[in-house]
Amino acid sequence: MKRQPAIFLLLLASIIHLQAQMNKIDFVEYDLDNGMHVILHQDNSTPIVAVSIMYHVGSKNEQPDRTGFAHFFEHLLFEGSENIERGQFDKHINGSGGANNANTWYDRTYYYEILPSNQLALGLWLESERLLHAKVDIKGIETQREVVKEERRQRIDNQPYGSIVSEALKRAYTTHPYQWPVIGYMEHLNAAQEEDYVNFYKTYYVPENAVLSIAGDLDIDEAKKLIDKYFSTIPRGKTAIKRPSIVEPEMTAEVRDTIYDNIQLPAVVQTYRIPAQGTPDFYAVDLLTKLLAQGESSRLNKALVDEQQKALFVGNFPFALEDPGVALAFGIANMGVNPSDLEAAMDAEIAKVREELISEKEFQKLKNQTESDFIGTNAKVTGIAESLANYHMYYGDANLINTEIDRFLAVTREDIQRVAKKYFTPTNRVVLYYLPKTEQP
Amino acid sequence: MKKILFFILFGALFSQCTPKITDAVGGAKDTVKEAVEDAATAATNQETFRHSAPTPGPAPVIKVKDAANFTLDNGLKIIVAENNKLPVVSFQVFVDVPPLVENDQAGAASIAGDLLSRGTTTKTKSEIDEAVDFIGADFSSYSSGIYASSLKKHTETLMALAADVLLNPSFPREEFEKIKTQTLSGLASNKDDPNAIASNVSNVLNYGKDHPYGEIVTEETVGNITLQGAKNYYNTYMKPNIGYVIIVGDISAAEAKPLAEKYFGGWGKGTVAKKEYAMPKAPSKTQVDFVSKSGAVQSVINVTYPVDLKPGTDDVIQGRVLNTIIGGYFGSRLMQNLREDKAYTYGARSSLSYDPYVGVFKASASVRNEVTQGSIQEFLNEMNRLRTEKVSEKELTSVKNYITGSFARSLEDGQTVARFARNIARYNLPADYYATYLEKLNAVTADDIMAMAQKYLKPDNAHILVVGNKGEVAETLSEFGEINYYDTYGNKLIVEESAADANITAEMVIDKYLSAIGGKEKLMAVKDLSMTMGAEMMGQPLEMVLVQKAPNKVMTKLTSQGMTIQESVFDGTKGKQGQMGQSAMMAPEDIARVKKQATLFPEMKMQELGSTAKLVGTEQVDGKNAYVVEVTDSDGKKVTNFFDTTSFLKIREITVIEAGDQTMTLIKDMSDYKAVDGVMFPYTTTTSGAMPAPLVMKVTDIKVNSGVADSAFSVE
Repeated sequence: MKRQPAIFLLLLASIIHLQAQMNKIDFVEYDLDNGMHVILHQDNSTPIVAVSIMYHVGSKNEQPDRTGFAHFFEHLLFEGSENIERGQFDKHINGSGGANNANTWYDRTYYYEILPSNQLALGLWLESERLLHAKVDIKGIETQREVVKEERRQRIDNQPYGSIVSEALKRAYTTHPYQWPVIGYMEHLNAAQEEDYVNFYKTYYVPENAVLSIAGDLDIDEAKKLIDKYFSTIPRGKTAIKRPSIVEPEMTAEVRDTIYDNIQLPAVVQTYRIPAQGTPDFYAVDLLTKLLAQGESSRLNKALVDEQQKALFVGNFPFALEDPGVALAFGIANMGVNPSDLEAAMDAEIAKVREELISEKEFQKLKNQTESDFIGTNAKVTGIAESLANYHMYYGDANLINTEIDRFLAVTREDIQRVAKKYFTPTNRVVLYYLPKTEQP
Repeated sequence: MKKILFFILFGALFSQCTPKITDAVGGAKDTVKEAVEDAATAATNQETFRHSAPTPGPAPVIKVKDAANFTLDNGLKIIVAENNKLPVVSFQVFVDVPPLVENDQAGAASIAGDLLSRGTTTKTKSEIDEAVDFIGADFSSYSSGIYASSLKKHTETLMALAADVLLNPSFPREEFEKIKTQTLSGLASNKDDPNAIASNVSNVLNYGKDHPYGEIVTEETVGNITLQGAKNYYNTYMKPNIGYVIIVGDISAAEAKPLAEKYFGGWGKGTVAKKEYAMPKAPSKTQVDFVSKSGAVQSVINVTYPVDLKPGTDDVIQGRVLNTIIGGYFGSRLMQNLREDKAYTYGARSSLSYDPYVGVFKASASVRNEVTQGSIQEFLNEMNRLRTEKVSEKELTSVKNYITGSFARSLEDGQTVARFARNIARYNLPADYYATYLEKLNAVTADDIMAMAQKYLKPDNAHILVVGNKGEVAETLSEFGEINYYDTYGNKLIVEESAADANITAEMVIDKYLSAIGGKEKLMAVKDLSMTMGAEMMGQPLEMVLVQKAPNKVMTKLTSQGMTIQESVFDGTKGKQGQMGQSAMMAPEDIARVKKQATLFPEMKMQELGSTAKLVGTEQVDGKNAYVVEVTDSDGKKVTNFFDTTSFLKIREITVIEAGDQTMTLIKDMSDYKAVDGVMFPYTTTTSGAMPAPLVMKVTDIKVNSGVADSAFSVE
C-alpha cells in the first residue's frame, strides 16, 4: 500500500510525457499542377521503399445498379497497360525483389509496392501506367470476373459467418451507398458494359483524385524529380468526380431479422449506427468498443465468455467511415445457449455502460490500449505510407499521423457514458440472429 | 479461434487481394479495349521513357545491424537488438529445449507451456489478463518460453510479469483441465483435415515414431497427460543455461542489462540432458504412401524425405535458391506448371529446411482426384529437370533478386536482426554469417544449382504421400512405386485381400447385415422403437430422443439442460420441425425425404423404396476390413455404407450433402453393438464432417415395442 502513491505519480508522469515518447514522423507534401497530391517520408534505416497511390473512390461512389466496380478495378488494374503486357505487372515487381498488393474499402482504393530502394523509379513507372493508360481486354475482364466470383465464394459465401457485415449493413442503411458490400453483387458485374468500365476509369482514376504516398529509403530531391517526370504530364480528368451527398435518415426503430447460414453455433449481431470518423463522438465510441471487447479482461469477454460461458467468442468493431458508420457488436453462442439469452447478456453489459460511469482505472486501461495501438501502426514504411495518405485524403491533414492520438485522449469518462446513451440504444440498431441452415423452417 | 474469426470478418469487409492471372492469352490477340482515348494522352505518348521499365540505380548496400550479446551468471544469454523507430520494446524468452520423445504423454510440453500464463503463486489467470490489458500489451506463453511486447514505458512492468509467470507458475488444476479439453477438441477437428493428416503421417514417414520429430499427439496421449507430467516438463527443461532472452526495440544494451539481471538473474540453472537419435534416412526406393479419406474429392500430395542439411553450411544458401526456383514463390516452376499452365491446383509449393538434427524436403499440392497421378508425374518431372538441365541465367538472376528483396524487407523488422543474432549463437555460425549472406547468394552459379539439385532432389528416393479417395485414386499410382496404406496417425495397415470374398455381391452383403442385426423375422416384428442418446458438445450436455413407429412415423427431439434446441415430428403424411420454440410445417419436398428416412430398417425395404445397391470394394475403417456398398435411392441420392467383413455389422455410413455451392461430407461411425430384444443396435455413434469437432453420441436407453401411441406423432 505504501508504494501506491509513487506508482500513481509515475503513471501520471508517463501520460504527460506521451508526446515526447512518440517519435515524430516527418514528411514533405505538395501538389502537382494536375492536382495530384504527393507525400514523401524519408526513412533510410532499411534500403526499401514503399510506393503507393490512394484513389478517393470506393464502393460508395458506385451506381446502385453497378455495385462492385471499385473493387473490380482493383483487379483489372493489375492486368496491364499501354506499355505493360498482360501478366507482366507482377513479374516486374517480383523480378526486382519487390512485393505488392492492393485493397478496396467503402471510401477509397489503395495500391502499393515495396521495392528495393534503387527501384523507386520502377514503382513510379508502374503506378503512372496504371493511372495514365491502363489497358483492359475482354479476356482480362472475363478472367477477373471469375477470380472475383471465387473471391466472393471464399470470403463471404463459403465462410461461416462471412456474410455478417453485408447482411448487417444492408439493413442499417436504407438510402446511403454503404448498404451494398464492397465486393458488390455479381449480377452487376455480369451486366456491366465496356463503356461502364471506361466511364468509371475516366472519372475516378485521375491525378486530382489520387494521393501518391512514398515512404522509405529515398532522397527527397531525387524523388521529386522522378515524380515530376512520371506524373506531371498526366492530364486532369474531364468528368466531374461524383461524391455522394446522400444523408442517411436517423433510425427510429429497431430492425430485427434472422439469417440462416452454414454454421453450427448461433450468433447474435447488433449493429449500432455511429457518427462519421474524425468527429469527437467517434473517438468516444472507439474507446467504448475497446471497453466492451478489447483483450481478455474486457467487459464482454470477461462476463460472457469467462464467467457466464454464454459465448464462445465476442467482438465489437467500429467502422471508421467518411459518412456516419456503424459499430458491430457480436457474440457466437456456446452450444445449447439460446441466442436470446446471449443477446440479453450483451444488452446487460451495454446497459451497464449507459448507467454507470466507468472507473478511473478502467478508463486508464482504455487510454493505454489506445496509445499502444496508435503507436504500433507506424512500425513499417508500408503502414506509414498508407496512414499519411489516409489522413490527407480524409481530413486534409497528413500530420494527424502525429497528432490524432490527442483526439482520443481528449475523450472523458463522461463522454463514453454519453455516447453509450446516445448511440448504443435499441432504437438505433439492427439485430441479426445467425442460425444454422439446418434449423431453417 | 479468436484470431480466425477476426480474420474472417475483416477478410469479408476488406476485399484485399493481389489478382493473379490464371491463364495466359494464347497466340491470337483478343480485341483490345483501351480505357482511355488517345487524344487525352497524346502528349504523354511522345514520352519515350514510358515505353519500358526504367533501369534501376546501383543496388543499395543491405546492412545487417549488429545486436549486443551478454550472458548472465546463470548461463542465460541475452541478445539486444536496438531499434529506435518506435517507443516499443518486445522480448522473447526462448528456452532451447533439446528435441525430446514424450512417449505415451505426447503433448505434455505444449500443455505445460500454455499453463504457465494461467496462474502464478500470487496471481490468478484473470489478474494476469487484467495486468496485460491494463498496459495495452501482448503476452503469451509456450513450451519454449514467452513472448511479450508493449510500449517502452511499460517494459519493466511487463518483464516483472513475465518473470513471475516463468519462475513461479502455480499450474492450477482447473486451467489444466480446460487446456486438455481444448487440446482434445483441436485434435478432433484436425481428424477430418487432410492437411493435418498429411502433416502427421509425413512426420512418421520421414523420421519414424521413435524420433522426437516423428512423434504424434493423439487423443490417447493427451488423455494420459497428468498435471504432474506438465510440471515435470517445466522442472526438467525450463532452465536458463539453455535459454535466451531476446530483447528488441527502443532499448539499449546498457538499459537492458540491469533489467535482465533483476528479473531473470534469480532463475536457477540445472543440467539438461541431450539425447542422441539415429539419423532418419530417405527410402531406398520411391514408394507411395496412401492414407484413405472416404469421400474425398481432392488429394493432398506430399513428395517428401529427410535430408542432411545443417544450419550455417554453404548448402543452406544454395539450397534456398534451388528451392525458390522449384517451388518457393509464385513464379516457381511447380506453381507455373501445375497452376498457371495446367490448372490442376490453386497452389503448388516446396520447402527445403535445414535443422541441426535432420532437415526435410517437401513438395506439396492439393489437386482434384482425377489429376492426382498427372500432378505427381509433374512433381517428379520438375525435380528431374533441375537435376539434368542447367537453369538459365535469366531465371537465376530473377530468383536471386527475389530472395535479396525478401531479405531486405525482412530487415525492417527488428525481430529479424534478433533472430539472426540468436541463430549465430544457437548454431555456432560465423559472426558475419548474415552480414555476408547476400554476397554468398550472389556468388551462386547455375552449376551450383545443378549440384544442389543432384544432392537434395531425390525423385527416386521419396515418399509420395497421398491423402485421398482410395477407390478413385490409389490404384492409378502403382507406377510410382509400391503402395503402402496407413491410418491417419501413420500406422501401417495390412490390407488382407483374403478377408474379402471375391464372389460376394451387394445384395449378399446387405442380407448378411440384416441377419447379423437379428434376422428379417425379428426386424419385421419391431413395430416401434424409442431411443435416448446423450452427447456433449463444447462442454454442454446434449440429449437426443428418437421415437419411430412402423411404417414411417418419427419424432426427434434435441435438448440441452432441459431446453429444447430442435424438434421434429412426422405422422406418416405430414410433419413439422423447428427450434427454440418456433416451428413450421414441412414443405412437400421435405416430406418425401423424411418419409424415406423414417422407414425402420430401410435395408429391408430396398425395393419398396426404389433403392439400388452396388458393391464398390473393400476398405479399412479404423483397422477393420469392410465391404463398401453404395446405396442410391430413387432420387439418385447416394449413401456409402461400410460393413465389417467378419461380423457384417455396419460400421460406417458416408453421406455427401450438397447445399447450394457447398458440399459437406458427413461420416457416421457406429460401434459398440448390443442386442435389445434380439435386435442389435450400435450404442456409440460418432458423426464427423458437420461440426467443428466430431459428435459422439452414446445410447442411454432403447425400448423396442413399448406400445408407442400414434398421438406421440401428432402434428397438430
